[in-house]
This record gives sequence, C-alpha cells and structure tokens, in this order.
Amino acid sequence: MIKITNLEKFYRTEEVETIALNKLSMEVKKGEFVAIMGPSGCGKSTLLNILGLLDDPDAGSYLFNDIEVADFNERKRADLRKHNIGFVFQSFNLIDELTVFENVELPLIYTGVAAADRVKKVEAVLDKMQIMHRRNHYPQQLSGGQQQRVAIARAVVNTPKIILADEPTGNLDSSNGNDVMELLTDLNEQGTTIIMVTHSEHDARYSHRIIRLLDGQTVVENIMI
Amino acid sequence: MIKNYIKIAWRNLLKSKLYSFVNILGLTIGLTIGMLILLWVQDEMSFDTFHSKVNTIYRVNGVTGSGQGIKIWDNAQGPVATTALREIPGVRNAVRISHGWNSIYTYKDKLLKEENTGYTDPSFFVMFDFRLIKGSKTKPFPTDQSVIITESTAKRYFGDDEPVGKVIQQDHETNFTVSGVIADFPDNSSIKFDMLFPINIIARQYNASNFWKSLDTDWGNYGYSTFFDIKPGTSLQQVCDHLINAQKKVAPWIKVSPGNGYRLQPMSDIHFYQADGSSGSLQTVKTFLIVGIITLLIACINYVNLSTARAMLRAKEVSIRKIIGAQRRQLFAQFIIESVVFFCVSLFLAFGLLYILMPYYNDVSGKHLQLDMLNADLWKVVAVTFVGTLAISSIYPSLLLSSFEPLKALKGKLTMGIGQAAFRKILVTTQFVFSVTLIIVTVVIGKQLKFIREKDPGYDRSQVFSFRTGQLGEHLDAVKAKLKSVPGIRAVTSSDNKLVDNGRATGGVDWDGKPTDMMFIMHHFGIDENFMPVMNIKLKAGKNFSGSKADATHFILNETAIAMTGIKDPIGKRFKYQETEGTIIGVVKDFNAASFKQNIDPAVIYYQPYGYKLYIKTTGKDAAQAIAACKQLWDKYNSGFPFEYRFMDEEYDALYKTDQRSGVLFNIFSAVAIVISCLGLFGLATYTAQIMMKEIGIRKVLGASVGGIIALVSKDFLKLVVLAIVIASPIAWWAINKWLEEFVFRIDVGSSVFLISGAIAIGIAVLTISFQTIRAATANPVKSLRSE
Repeated sequence: MIKITNLEKFYRTEEVETIALNKLSMEVKKGEFVAIMGPSGCGKSTLLNILGLLDDPDAGSYLFNDIEVADFNERKRADLRKHNIGFVFQSFNLIDELTVFENVELPLIYTGVAAADRVKKVEAVLDKMQIMHRRNHYPQQLSGGQQQRVAIARAVVNTPKIILADEPTGNLDSSNGNDVMELLTDLNEQGTTIIMVTHSEHDARYSHRIIRLLDGQTVVENIMI
Repeated sequence: MIKNYIKIAWRNLLKSKLYSFVNILGLTIGLTIGMLILLWVQDEMSFDTFHSKVNTIYRVNGVTGSGQGIKIWDNAQGPVATTALREIPGVRNAVRISHGWNSIYTYKDKLLKEENTGYTDPSFFVMFDFRLIKGSKTKPFPTDQSVIITESTAKRYFGDDEPVGKVIQQDHETNFTVSGVIADFPDNSSIKFDMLFPINIIARQYNASNFWKSLDTDWGNYGYSTFFDIKPGTSLQQVCDHLINAQKKVAPWIKVSPGNGYRLQPMSDIHFYQADGSSGSLQTVKTFLIVGIITLLIACINYVNLSTARAMLRAKEVSIRKIIGAQRRQLFAQFIIESVVFFCVSLFLAFGLLYILMPYYNDVSGKHLQLDMLNADLWKVVAVTFVGTLAISSIYPSLLLSSFEPLKALKGKLTMGIGQAAFRKILVTTQFVFSVTLIIVTVVIGKQLKFIREKDPGYDRSQVFSFRTGQLGEHLDAVKAKLKSVPGIRAVTSSDNKLVDNGRATGGVDWDGKPTDMMFIMHHFGIDENFMPVMNIKLKAGKNFSGSKADATHFILNETAIAMTGIKDPIGKRFKYQETEGTIIGVVKDFNAASFKQNIDPAVIYYQPYGYKLYIKTTGKDAAQAIAACKQLWDKYNSGFPFEYRFMDEEYDALYKTDQRSGVLFNIFSAVAIVISCLGLFGLATYTAQIMMKEIGIRKVLGASVGGIIALVSKDFLKLVVLAIVIASPIAWWAINKWLEEFVFRIDVGSSVFLISGAIAIGIAVLTISFQTIRAATANPVKSLRSE
C-alpha cells in the first residue's frame, strides 16, 4: 500500500542544514498496524507528514497504491488526501467553532457528499464512537478522551484506506488512552491500515510491527506477536 | 458548503466580540457616511437630467464688455429667442423665462406672498419635461391673464378644491385665472418656480413711443433666461454668430469684439458651471466625492488590517481544514463569505443609521434626500458602495488566510513574515495620511470661512435692517423725518439697490479718454446723502453728496473704478452715467458688494434721494421698537401688504450659506473618517499588545518600568503617524491651495496649520492606543508568562 525508497528530507536555516530523513526506505502493507517509535527529533513526525501528503520529500520515491506521489503538487495531494487518508493528532485539532457533529461532517463536505448521506454517515460513526449524545456540543465542552474520539470519528467518517495517528494518546490519561487504542485496533481489524507515531511502548504493543527510527534512519524493526 | 461557511462566520463574529465590534462599527460608520455622501453626489449629478431633451437644450449666455470689463450673463435679451426661431434653421424651439417681482396674491381670505414667480413662453411646457397635471401643453395660457401654478401652490390657496378656473388677485389689483397645474419642480431642477405667467404680460408693457418698441426688438435688456432646443449636428458657433450679427444690425451701439459674442451652455452643465465657465457646485461635488471615497477606503483598510492581524488566530482552523481536504479555493471562498457576513451585518446597521441620520443630514446639507427602498437609484449607490468596499477589503485577507501552510500553522510555528508586518504598517500609514490630510483641510476651511465671515467688507452692516418702501416711497421725506425721531432708531437712509450681493450692472458709462470700442461694465447704486455715513463707507478723496439739487449730476466712484478706467485726478472730471452728463465729486474706498469669493467690481454711485429701499440703523437694544415703528408706518400706506424686513447681517450670512454648509459637512465627514481610523488603530494596538504579552512579561520580570513598556509599545505606532504627517502635508497643501483658489480674498496658510494638525493627529493616536498599552504595561507578568 505504501512503499518509500531512499526518502530524504532536510530542514535548512541560514546557517545549518538538519537532516530529518536520511535515505529512509520502508513498506506498509494493506491492513497493517504499524507503530513508529524513536527519540525526539529522530524524524518520526516528518515521516508521518510525508506519508500523509502534508509535506513533500526532498528526494526519494513514495508510492501510494503503486502511484508515485513524491512529486504531486499541493492540489493533487489535497485531493488524494481527502479520499484516502484520515488523521488523528495528539492535540485532537478539532475546530472550536464547530459542534461535534459539524466537525465530523467536515471531510464529507469537502469530498462533496450529499447532505442527506452526510447525516447518515456522521450519525453512524458517532454512534460507533459512543459520542452520539454529545453531537451538539462544542469541543471545549468535552473531556480529552471524548475529544479524541470525535477526532477519530472525523478521521474515519470518509472510510479512508489509511489512518495516520500522531501520538493519539499523548494528551490522555491511561484509561482514556486505552479506549482510544481499542478503537484504533477495532478499525484495523475491520481493514483500515494504521500507521501510528508514539512514545509509548504500551501503545506500540497494540500494533503488528514497530519501526524504530534514529537520526532519520530505520534502526530496527520489531514484529509483534 | 455555503451554509457551513456562513455558520462558522457567524460563530466567529459572536466569539471575538471586541474584534467584531470594532470591525463592524468601523464598517457601519464608513458605509453610512460613504452612502450619505454618495447619495448627495448622486443627487447633484442628477441635476436637470430628467429632461428627455437634456442633451439638445442649451442656455444662451449673453456677453457684454470686453477685456477686463467682460461680463458673461446667464441670460440674454428678449429678441434672441424670437430671432433664432425665425432665422436659424438648427434651433427647433426656444423658451424665455424672466423672474417676476415679489407680489402678494389673494384668494378669498387667503393672502400670500410669492417670491418665486416667472414669466415664460408657452413653449416652456413642451421643451422641458416638467409635468403639466392640468391644462394644455400647447396652449397653456388661454389669455394674458392666465397663470399656471404648482401643485403645492394650488394647495396653499385652494386646499383640495379644483384649482383650474379659480381667480387669484395680484397686489389687490390684477386678476389671474388659474389655467393649469404643474407638478412641483423637482429638487434637482435648476429651474424652479411656484407660479408661471405668460411672457406676453411683459411684451404688453412696451409701446411705440418708447426707445425700445417691443420685447422682440429690445436688444438692451439682458433679462431673460433663454433656452434653445438645437438639432444635433448644428454648428453651435454658427448659431452664436448668427445671433451676434442680428444684434449688430439692430443695436450697433452694443460693442462687439472678438470673444464677447453669445455662448451656448449645455443644459446638463448649468448646475455645475456658472455662465462664465467658473465652477459652480462642481468643486463641492468633487470634494465630497473624494471625501466619500476616502472614508470608504479608510473603513476598508480598517477591515483588512484587523482581519490580517487576527489571521494568526485563525491559522489552526485553516490547517485542520486543509489537512482534512479543503482546497485553497474552498478556503478562499470561506473567508470571502465571512467578509460578506460582516459586510451584510454592517450594511444592515448602516441602513438603520441612515434612516436615523437622514433628517439631520438633509437639514445640514439643505437637500431633501429620501431613503426610499423602492428607488433604484438608492440601490445603485448601495450596490456600488457595498461591492466596491467588499472587493477591496476581502480579497487580500482571504488570500492570506487560505495560503497558510498547514503544518507550520498547526505547530504554532507560523510567524507573520516581515512582508506581512510591513504591509500592515503601510496600511496604517495610508489611513493616517488620509486622516491627517482631512484634519489639515478641515482646519484651513474653518479658518477661511471664519476669515470671510469676519472680514470687514468696507461698510458697517451691524444693527441695520432694510425694507422696500412700497407706497411709502411717495411720502419718503415725511417718513424719513418721522422715523428719525423714533427712539431706538439711530439713522435712516435709502438706496435704490442692495448693498449686500448687488447684482446690478450697466454698460452705460462714459468718461474722457474712454476707448471708443470699449464697453465698460460697472455696478451702480443710487443713494441719498446719509447712506455713506450710516454705512460707514469711507471717502478716499472728494466729498459726499450734500443733498442739494446739484447732486443730480454728481458721481462718486470706487477705487477699483478709478483704477480700471484710468481717470487721473478724478475729482471734478467729466463722467457720464446713462443719459446723465456730470462730474466726479468723490472717490470711496472699495467696499465689497458681493461675496469675498469675487473681486470687487468697479462701481458708480449716483444721487437718488428716493430709493425704493429704506435702511434703518437701530441702537441695537431697541431694535424691536424701531421695527414696530416701521411696521406701523408701512401698514398706514401699504395696507393689505405684509411688512417684511431683513437685517443686513442675515443677508450677509446668506452670501456664504452654501460655503458654511459645505464647511459643516466637511467637518462632520472628516471627524467620522478620523474616528474610523482610530478604531483601526485601536484594534491594531489591542492585537499588538496581545502578541507582545510575553515580551512585556519578560521585560517586566527583568525590571522594565511601566513607562518604558508604554513607550515600547507606542513607539512603533507613533513612528507611523509621524511618517503619515510627513506624507500628508504636501498633499494637504496642494488640496487647500486648490480649494482656496475659489476665493479672491483668502488666508495665508502658514506652517502653524500643519504643526497644529500634526499635533492633533499624534494626540488622537496616543489617546487611542494608550488604553491598550497601559493595560498591557500594568498587567501582572506572572499571568502573561503563564498563559504563554
């Protein structure tokens, strides 16, 4: 599903050039649940952003479903992104001015789903995330765990092929964190590919495979049993 | 999608209350004032355009004199119209209009004075598009005793009764039968009357024994506003040439030199340009149009400034939307719609404000504008204002907001680049350039208007009132004697002309050494021997009239006349005024018989002990007694006619009424523009204080004083204001000189005006930002650092 080869990414300021990704290669198959781990500054977030088509690499190849996307322009990336990729962030990133329902509805609006279908889909996913009763609340009226469930709902409402999660439990207590991990596992079992960046060994254990990065390179891959 | 945009726009509006309030307030005031000004301009531009033949109608402007003494009248002689109709092929139709005397009219128990009557040709009703409600267009005056009155005049006399056929009496003597009713003349018409009489009444006053045998051959009296309807393609020059040739044939003594023939002025121009081509109301229209646009621009800049300043706070939302899949154009559309929501709210409020302000505005501007929601013209103004300002205000912020790179914005790494900050500085500076310019211009206009109002016109008008003598004139000596004994009356004098705003002039003057081909136009006054002492008009040489018989051939000239005629040692020299040969006995210092916008014209003063206008100088505190005594005498000799008097001060103020009005409007508009600028500055200061909260906190922890912090935050703004003053000064200097050109007598604009205006601008700016800076400087640093 995802295959990157010799991916490079540099960050430049006036004086220094920092290598974020150094000829990184890896592959993620359809239906996999992969965790990416490593110390701060090892390049995991950079990798996730490139995988999520939010950022473009400086060199190397990125095949998404066998299509080369490394050189896609902003418009094409946005297009591919909205149909295929769902995002879950550590800080939830819900829009404060929109209600739970409206936040979850947003991706459907941008992909042009008809209003009646949108209501059905949003209600279904809110139901699944068990936050239906909060549909008319605003994000700041919810607990962290609830907010993250809304964010996951928003990530999956478009039935993306892949979910990219950036430390999804980072801002949650352990009980809420476990709930979120259960949700992701459920989604994975239903066929969604998941790539998750995490600092938590505990969370990483929910995945099939851990990729450990150091200085922009893969140092080790653990296969989980 | 749009629903979602509107929804979020509305919630954003409610969420950031201060920001929304400042933004909407600025926009509302801007839109209101912008629309008020544009409605005013539109009304001015619409003058006389309602005539379907406006493009083919011309006014004939007669010209007399030559060289320095040239005079271009806004009217022509009686035969001009008839000659043109008879002899010039391109002239399809012609109308003459002459103003009538002020008369009183009676119907049953009603007695009303009419000051706005006219005599005209029947073609008036065909050439112009004034709506004749009742009566015949082709035969409006069945007899010479017919009159056509306006709808509201009819109401005044007859209430709801049928006016046609009713008989009204003029001055208790002459009966006129109402033969038609015309709709009230529109406000935006240069031609306005309450009653129209057939011009035949004037024609009948001629008889064969007079010098001028008939109206149609009287080339001497420039007393008729004359309009031609000219076939397109006709050479206007040929029409004028034909007229001057006709005049030369019949009246060869009216000197004609190249350049003083007739002139044709398009109907559409007569409101904007005076007959001599100088600007009429055009100057004011242009000025206001510019002020209106500036006000709107300031409001737009405000909006752009505040929305871009706030852009950082929206960055997270933009990023999330982008990550979720929004295209840039979708975001662009979203922010445009957000602006539309802001503008719609402001427009709605602006309408409310317009509705409330309209009566006051009409009062100040002297217009009768209406907020008629069914009027297409109103919506034109609204649409132009709305779309124009919206386009200017919304595009840049929308482009900026939709351009954020999602990742940076989300991580809070988004910093407004130098370009961004510089752009906002340019906007603030521009705004203050406008404001400072307006302040300077306002100060200068105020000073100039005060200057002309208070400048000594060369005569003393205080405590003097005047009235027409009417039948008193036949007992004038007795009346004067009687009035002089009334306590409260200091002096009595009479004249046959107005001193304030004297419009009369004659070409019938001669002196030794006058070039034979020269026609010299002079103002003329007839006064009694008391007039100059009472009015305190100073003699420069010679003496005043003595009241003796010999005064009948004595003349007094003003300084300008002496200078322009070039008469050396004038006292005792020959002078001929119309048919009277005489000598010059005195020279008076120049006094201003018109407004200070005009040069002082040459004037000849002759002796006329029986002038029709009585001037009474009162002691001031007993003025009421003096007026009562005059009224008593008036009633004795003019029973049935109302007694009307006017103080010269009022007449004098009326000269500058339009200027005073424009001055007041200008003050208001400038004040509003400045207030809007301040709103923008306030918003920006608020934002800056927020952004700098951490820096201020750190500085305070390190020991900065409150004063130091205030200086730190204010400094950047004040730099911009000073820059604006520097840029605005030459612009304002140019603008005020342009405006002052209209006045012959004007103030010197010194550097003090600029210094004062600059100080005002800085003062306003400091006041505006101080609220926010002081708040930021006195905030507890622990709090501000923690919130970071």
